[in-house]
Amino acid sequence: MKRTTLLIILTGLFILPELSSAQAVSRFPKPDFQTDYVQPEMVNPQPRPAAMEIMDIIALIGAMSLASWFVLKDRSRRRVFILMVASLVYFGFIRRGCICSVGSVQNIAYAFFNSSYLIPLTALAFFAVPLLFTLFFGRTFCAAVCPLGAVQDLVILKPVKVPGWLNHILSLLPYFYLGLAVLFATTGAGFIICQYDPFVGFFRFGAGFNLVLLGVFMLILGTVVARPYCRFLCPYGVLLRWMSRLSRRHVTITPDECNNCRLCEASCPFDAIDPADEGQKPEQRQRETGRLAMLLILLPLLMFAGGWSVSRLHKPLARYHFTVSLADEVRRQQQGLIPASSDKLDAFRSAGTTAEALFAEEAAVIGRFRTGSWLLGVFFGLVIGVKLIRLTIRRRREFYTIDRGGCLSCARCVSYCPYELVRLGIITPEEIITHERKHPQ
Amino acid sequence: MRENTHNDSTRLIYTIAGRVAAVAAVFAVILSILMIANYLQTQSVDPLNSTALETLMEQLKDNPNDTALKEQIRALDLLARKAYFTHLWQVRTGRVLLFCFAAILVIALKYRSSLVPRLPDLSEGADPETAWENRFMARKQVIIGGTALFVLAAVLGILSEKNMTGSSPGAVAGEEAQEAVSAVAEEPGAVLPGFEEIRAQWPSFRGPEGRAVAYSTEAATSWDVESGENILWKSAVPLSGFSSPVIWDDRLFLSGADRATREVYCFNAHSGDLLWTGDASDVPGTPEDMPAPTGDTGYAAATMAADSQYVFAIFATGDLGCWTHEGAQVWAKNIGTPENHYGHSSSLICYEGLLFVQFDQNSGGRLIALDKATGEPVYDIAREVGISWASPILVNTGARAELILSSNPGVISYDPLTGKQLWRVDCMSGEVAPSPAYDNGMVFAVNDYAILAGIRIGDPAELVWETPDDLSEVSSPAANNGFLILPTSWGTVSCFNAETGERYWYHDFDEGFYSSPVFAGDMVYIAEMPGLVHIFKAAEEFELVNSCEMGERVVATPAFMHGRIYIRGVYNLFCIGTE
Repeated sequence: MKRTTLLIILTGLFILPELSSAQAVSRFPKPDFQTDYVQPEMVNPQPRPAAMEIMDIIALIGAMSLASWFVLKDRSRRRVFILMVASLVYFGFIRRGCICSVGSVQNIAYAFFNSSYLIPLTALAFFAVPLLFTLFFGRTFCAAVCPLGAVQDLVILKPVKVPGWLNHILSLLPYFYLGLAVLFATTGAGFIICQYDPFVGFFRFGAGFNLVLLGVFMLILGTVVARPYCRFLCPYGVLLRWMSRLSRRHVTITPDECNNCRLCEASCPFDAIDPADEGQKPEQRQRETGRLAMLLILLPLLMFAGGWSVSRLHKPLARYHFTVSLADEVRRQQQGLIPASSDKLDAFRSAGTTAEALFAEEAAVIGRFRTGSWLLGVFFGLVIGVKLIRLTIRRRREFYTIDRGGCLSCARCVSYCPYELVRLGIITPEEIITHERKHPQ
Repeated sequence: MRENTHNDSTRLIYTIAGRVAAVAAVFAVILSILMIANYLQTQSVDPLNSTALETLMEQLKDNPNDTALKEQIRALDLLARKAYFTHLWQVRTGRVLLFCFAAILVIALKYRSSLVPRLPDLSEGADPETAWENRFMARKQVIIGGTALFVLAAVLGILSEKNMTGSSPGAVAGEEAQEAVSAVAEEPGAVLPGFEEIRAQWPSFRGPEGRAVAYSTEAATSWDVESGENILWKSAVPLSGFSSPVIWDDRLFLSGADRATREVYCFNAHSGDLLWTGDASDVPGTPEDMPAPTGDTGYAAATMAADSQYVFAIFATGDLGCWTHEGAQVWAKNIGTPENHYGHSSSLICYEGLLFVQFDQNSGGRLIALDKATGEPVYDIAREVGISWASPILVNTGARAELILSSNPGVISYDPLTGKQLWRVDCMSGEVAPSPAYDNGMVFAVNDYAILAGIRIGDPAELVWETPDDLSEVSSPAANNGFLILPTSWGTVSCFNAETGERYWYHDFDEGFYSSPVFAGDMVYIAEMPGLVHIFKAAEEFELVNSCEMGERVVATPAFMHGRIYIRGVYNLFCIGTE
């Protein structure tokens, strides 16, 4: 325990100075004295060349291919780790965390509801390629390509097991975050996943104070709770989880057969290994079946309750939209409640739009939020209902198996399996049989 | 034998990796501590608020032509900038180095741990029954949490909807303001002074309407403080302040303040006796963190206002108070701490039962009209302007009353009773401190590095002429009978044709003016900063009548009434007259 505390303190000590990044904004007032110094003209940065964007896509596909190969064929944690570091360097520090697959969810959502938005090819590719690979090979993207995952993976020092019940509850958060992100993106309120990306500050060596603080907190937490963002927040992880459950091939703990030796039991820092289970006992079955039936009946009611209650929040949520916020400011200014001049108000006036037109646009945005928040609430109700149903079903498992949805395909567990050692020629099958005879379970 | 060699080399690599990690950790810790110390140091020392620099800047204001002082300020300013940018460089370099050390540490630790495979931990067996209990517990928590989430969403939504449709108290405008004014006007027994009554008094900064024209007096043109010639009385003012005297009948009012105390004084205009002192130090809402106005503004720069019933004072703290002429406090309130880097200096003015406050701050401008008897806001209008230090003037065009405010960028006229904007001309820039002037249908606004503008009042108003030379940064212009007088803080005084903007003459006095000129009869009186009051004719040719020493610095603008001149020096109040 003392060592863990020491590790956390040391990690915090290394990371805390990053807070100063938040203060390092290069602003300084102009000198008081008139000089002959000519202020340089403001220049807009050029967009990234198309060829480089194609390079990014090629790099992504290459990294995904290698990751899938290393996980499924090589079953090599070391190679996965090296690829993960390389991905962190390129997609994180060189590309400065943008574009990333996690944020691309918003581009897709926005494109769906805004016909005037031409989605960039890179955004489309970064959204689709990891999903496609996951559909075939499991979450190899999380294992070795995602820079957000990589930076957290690197700081795992002494992972602890999150209590099972808490793990189940926290696993709902990514769904809520995804729902909100999609609502904000489709209504044009903003890309909140990018705005609150806790690690982008590290990739860019600078960010707002709160964001750096969040990143520092995440990394300190990540020393003992492995990959907290990936497991309990990542909205893209929700989609990957769905794909991974359906994946054609997925990494397995054993390359051959499982003898329930339990050696892999504690190897996964993400609690994604399910032990063998005999399933429900007869006395439980009747009770749980009744509960399951009730939940199935209540599911539509839950969705409606969610839709109704969350839709009450449509106005406060709409205030995050620029148009609504601006209209509110204009209205308050007209009422004399706030000063007449602000950057926002001045820009609005210079644009030549009338207040009436702004208010009409505001009403349209609020209308979109009303519909959107209804759907969001329905989604929340569905997620909670399905989670309750899943928690009610107890499946029989003969062997130790990977939870395909939660598994990040990091290949940590494979080396713990004695049959993997046989595959690698380190031990013989006979040695396993001999050991089993000596130590029957 | 081979295995032993392998083990030895692995052990060696393991040891090396450990030591590399330790060295990287030590360096990273040292660097972290240095960066944190650097951050804290920079937080505590703000180059923008260097007291040494501020002191020098203050000195420069007193000696604007001191080249050596300017050089010293430039050198110190450069030093502060260098310190700031060096700090930025240190942060950037430190971040990169810290990243490198952290990377080495992580790589070394990871590699080291990879050399010793972690043995499976079988101490705590995975019990399927425990897992099932966990699910059961999770199900309960999800039900509770989900219900709480939905209830919370509904409650928050309903509450926020109520808040969003509600209106904020304390600010009314337009028709509501008109109704409130009507209510004030119809108050039984209320005496509302009109322009004629105002012009018989000296009720605000630069006299009736703020025009800097003494309507009913001819004043002495010579006096001598040392010998006492034509000095009727001289009284010490308890607390300092740059506000000017205001007079109603035989009572003269002044404000004075320091960081701890804010006071108003009532003097007998005939004898100079201090009749009463009103305390404004304990006003509800006074900021705990006092604003820090500059030395040449202070806490009592804004001039008081008076009408037939009350006197009003405002201070740099935003404290605003009302007293009867006998000294009883009627009301006092804080209207918000002025966000003002020099200190609040806009003076008050009254009209038709309303007290007007020009409250142009860093966060934007406001024109506040208060019911004089209660202090309650009648309207509070947001103005599309930047910060300013100028004071409002009241104009009687013959057709209507207008309240005219000068700021950056707009010179704006309002209907004083409703707050409705009548016209606006955007022609100012910079930190506007001079108040506007008015004469014969024309408004004159000025600011240093902007222009001197002649604006003809109308619907809309029109910028008729402008001139860019010899502009004022503090002292306000005055206009009367076609002459426009404009002094500057470096000692020049210009006289213009108010109609055309043509300059009649230009005279360079020695020092400079913060005080504003006042027309009295066919003379113009103006106090130069060291305490020299110049008297010259309002004419197309410059003709100096006299210059009289006051014996102390003068920044306030003189008041003219009872055939006398009342001048506030930095220490004393003087009454000058022939009888």
